[in-house]
Amino acid sequence: MQNNNEVLLKVDHLCQYFRLGRKDLKAVDDVSFEIRKGESFGLVGESGCGKTTTGRSIIKLYNITSGNVYFKGERIGAGIRSYQDAISAARADAASKIKALRAEKDADAARKAEIQEEIKKINKELGAVVDRNRALIRDAKSNTKDVDKKYVESLLQALEAEYAQKFDAAAGNTVQLAALKKEYKNRCRVAKKSKLITQIQMIFQDPIASLDPRMTVRDIIAEGLVIKGITDKDYINEKVYEILETVGLVREHADRYPHEFSGGQRQRIGIARAVIMQPDMIIADEPVSALDVSIQAQVINLLNDLRERMGLTILFIAHDLSVVKYFSDRIGVMYFGKMVELADSDELFKNPLHPYTKSLLSAIPLPDPVYEKQRTRIIYNPIAEHDYRVDKPSFREIAPGHFVHCNDAEEQKYKQQLK
Amino acid sequence: MNREIKLSVNDLKISFRTDAGKVQAVRNISFDLYKGETLAIVGESGSGKSVTSKAIMGISAGNSIYEGGEILYDGQDLTRIPEEEMHKLRGDKIAMIFQDPLSSLNPIMRIGKQITEAMLLKNKANRKEGRVTFNKTLAALSETIKKALAENPQPGVTAADVDKYIKTFDAFNIQAIKLENSYNDARTAAEEMIAVIEDLLFMTENKQKVDVVSSLGLIKSRLKEINDKYFVAGYEDALKAHAVAVEEITRAERAKVSVIDVVKKLVDNGASKNEASPETVETLKALKKTAQEMLSQPQYNFFRIGYYVYKHPETDLSQMPADAANEMTVKFLNEDFMDSFMVLVKLAVQYSFDKTIEHKKSAVEAIEKAIDFFRAGDFTAQEAEKTCKYVNSSVTAAIDPLAIVKDNVAYTCGSSLEREVKKYFFYVKNNPKEEARFARQTAQREALLAKGKKVDWKIVPKSVIALDVQIAAIVSVLSRVMNKFKADIEAAESFEADKRCLEIIDFLKEKASQVVYTLTKRIAKEKAIKLMEEVGIPEARMRYRQYPFEFSGGMRQRIVIAIALSANPDILICDEPTTALDVTIQAQILELINRLKKERNLSIIFITHDLGVVANMADRIAVMYAGKIVEYGTAEEVFYKPQHPYTWALLSSMPDLDTNEKLDAIPGTPPNMIYPPVGDAFAERNKYAMEIDFELQPPMYEVSPTHYAATWLLHPNAPKVEIPKIITERIRRMEERGGAHAE
Repeated sequence: MQNNNEVLLKVDHLCQYFRLGRKDLKAVDDVSFEIRKGESFGLVGESGCGKTTTGRSIIKLYNITSGNVYFKGERIGAGIRSYQDAISAARADAASKIKALRAEKDADAARKAEIQEEIKKINKELGAVVDRNRALIRDAKSNTKDVDKKYVESLLQALEAEYAQKFDAAAGNTVQLAALKKEYKNRCRVAKKSKLITQIQMIFQDPIASLDPRMTVRDIIAEGLVIKGITDKDYINEKVYEILETVGLVREHADRYPHEFSGGQRQRIGIARAVIMQPDMIIADEPVSALDVSIQAQVINLLNDLRERMGLTILFIAHDLSVVKYFSDRIGVMYFGKMVELADSDELFKNPLHPYTKSLLSAIPLPDPVYEKQRTRIIYNPIAEHDYRVDKPSFREIAPGHFVHCNDAEEQKYKQQLK
Repeated sequence: MNREIKLSVNDLKISFRTDAGKVQAVRNISFDLYKGETLAIVGESGSGKSVTSKAIMGISAGNSIYEGGEILYDGQDLTRIPEEEMHKLRGDKIAMIFQDPLSSLNPIMRIGKQITEAMLLKNKANRKEGRVTFNKTLAALSETIKKALAENPQPGVTAADVDKYIKTFDAFNIQAIKLENSYNDARTAAEEMIAVIEDLLFMTENKQKVDVVSSLGLIKSRLKEINDKYFVAGYEDALKAHAVAVEEITRAERAKVSVIDVVKKLVDNGASKNEASPETVETLKALKKTAQEMLSQPQYNFFRIGYYVYKHPETDLSQMPADAANEMTVKFLNEDFMDSFMVLVKLAVQYSFDKTIEHKKSAVEAIEKAIDFFRAGDFTAQEAEKTCKYVNSSVTAAIDPLAIVKDNVAYTCGSSLEREVKKYFFYVKNNPKEEARFARQTAQREALLAKGKKVDWKIVPKSVIALDVQIAAIVSVLSRVMNKFKADIEAAESFEADKRCLEIIDFLKEKASQVVYTLTKRIAKEKAIKLMEEVGIPEARMRYRQYPFEFSGGMRQRIVIAIALSANPDILICDEPTTALDVTIQAQILELINRLKKERNLSIIFITHDLGVVANMADRIAVMYAGKIVEYGTAEEVFYKPQHPYTWALLSSMPDLDTNEKLDAIPGTPPNMIYPPVGDAFAERNKYAMEIDFELQPPMYEVSPTHYAATWLLHPNAPKVEIPKIITERIRRMEERGGAHAE
């Protein structure tokens, strides 16, 4: 779409673990990617692979376990588990070293002072590691808190600059000046309450479950504005009508309840609710999976329209590969909490490298009976495919913009394949 | 197409009573399902696909009304048979896989029990049913032979002789059943023994403790049973040796059980558990091998042996190997009985068939007359009843009593005709009433509107059916039977009496063995485990004891399929079986269904809204919209040469991997079926709609002998319309791809 290399969202080594008895369930494990401004990024994988969790972690519906999320260059989410892990690892390491030294000390009285010295050194090193990591933890905590302060400040500055001009223009006219001042005050109040995270909005999978059945469509759509602190009823109504028309509904729908709408219309309401906040980015979590084929096309077309008109960036989560391919500029494939492949959508479908991606692509049903009857599915068996006992895998760039989760040997193999 | 029709749906019409009015969910749909094919029904939600499938299963919602039409299966109209009859078909002959696997499994029952439950229940019912059918068929055969003899007497055969033949046949079949019963018991015992051994070995392999002593007890008792029955020819010595070995290991195992264990057993009534020793395992493995070998031996043909034993009651064939026994008895049976009996059977079959054709000819005449009578209109109730009776009796006479595959159309002709005629007289009475009510309400509403009041209710549309339409319905029932008969008469030349004779004897044999086949819980378990492996569940023996929540979505759907297959159905209805699953699992499930279809020659009705899935599965496709089938054809025809604008719209609204252009979404939503549109239901959302689309429903146009579509665009006077570019592009790409495959 747009040739813009400005990174809007950066996810850096994101981990999201859930407690599951004594163990951790690694729902998302060390996932990194960037989304550029104005692009549509698709996230695919089978159910339970962590696509939705990734989306929800970005929008801070969960507290992330470790890793960082940057939005517009600000760190909006940070996990501290990795630092804590580093501290406890360092402690355990130091403790075992000291224990060994003490045993040596008891055995060999002659080297007592020397060993004492060594223990001190180890303790000092440990202290340094702990301090460093604690600082990082503090940083992470304060950083994510300061984000909103910074955002509010920038908003206030912009307002001040805007109104300074207006005040100058209206100088002398007391009535107009008073009105302007009132407006300025009001907007400042709203701005003070703003949060950066509201620039990311979410559309949920199930249009029935995600709309409160006791609220009218107007209330549902306006809720975000109300929470933001806008009190002007007329302004809100005007906005709601405008948005309703944008998403292909009519004004009269504002006073109805969600149950009076069909599936596609409900999903439009969900979209309207997200779009009214004028976000820079939308996380669409399986927005069409629960809809009929014909309605799916309506919703996809609407999202595409909105994207062009409002310059939205979209993180599109789905399991239907044909839809993702159609909708997205770049696609990331996830498997069991890991991102296994990431590339431009055309590139990914033309040159799939990771065996899981190949298996996924071979499972897509197409509306072509002759082809379908000859299609053979590739079965992915991670144990047979990879040998990760010695050579640990990581997420690497094989070709420009084409990343694969692999180890050294596989990297060589994939590079060979691309030539 | 000369294939066996398994199920046919004719003019089915189903509505739902709701507070707002009558919702017409299915409006006059008809289709046939052939043996071994997959028919896919495609459409949006609310188009009536699921309603149709539920009607076939006889599980429609409580507020549904069957307004007309019939679902014919095995000589019965499924919309009209009582619930007890439906019990016999549901799950047994027609099975269903539902969309949501979790809601169709019982959460508090172990998987194994859910799979075996139906098997065990059905086995009991089958045995009873087998006996009844056997007697009925034999009686019909005897009667026909006698009739045939009366007309063309054979030298040296009298009616009394026929009675004797039939009696002999019956008696030696009973003898055969008895022998087979005993043999089956032995086989059952052997199978059970293998099952026990397998369980024991499995537990030991997985280092779990088992009650070895009592298991060995079970094995011993089974072994004894095998030794006593008709089974062991050539294996007596081996079995005896095994029995001694088992005795020994039992003693050894018993010695291992401590006093504490025994006390515990006495006090708690529990089992004393320990691990099987290596010697035990070895011995049991050897025994298992022998038993499996025995099971794989050629089976006795009890039909032949039965006769021999019947004639020579004092002989003991049990020591003879199966091959030799079969060889000897077949000769005896043929010379002594079968050859002459077969002559009679053939005579009867030929006679019955000739008579049937004759009757069919006269029935066709009667029907022709009846059609003229009804077409003329203006008849009284008595006249109509008389005509119906006459038609009914002549059609019933034309049913061949010896045909194994029942003629659905002829069997249900009487009831269908009666129903349609009844309806006619109902409309004669009801139409004026409805008109009056409608006029009254319209006047009321207009008066209110004229006063300037706000009217918040709609007029309930009149449910009036013009009398000539109803007469057409009556005529269509008659002409359906007539066409069927005419086709039969034409095909009479190619009739093979020999083939039919064998069919009858085989049918009788099959029913007889159905009577003796017993299924014990242990064998059911083994069968269930085999079935679970067949549908691709790993470690079936362990998973057998798990609960549904312990399975993932795809595995659950497999369990549901296994349950559906456990009764070995004729027809499988899949109601969106993969919609809740993701791509990889979906592909697995579809592959599984396709494989099972091939292996078992199943007929499948596959319901979905995903066209990609359909391309993979379907032989033929019916596209449904607003309760009607709008297009109907083979998969290739529907995908490569779609005719109906709705099919175009469906195809163009789904992106595939090469789609770049803007999707052609279908504007709007399906119509409210309380007020179904007068014309083509799709007209409002159709950009190709013509004026006539809003006024008149299009008829089904034939595109090719297998391809039909209901759109006015196919009318010779219709303007030429271009298929949307997105589809032509795709078809072109598909052809390229298909061409590449062909090379």
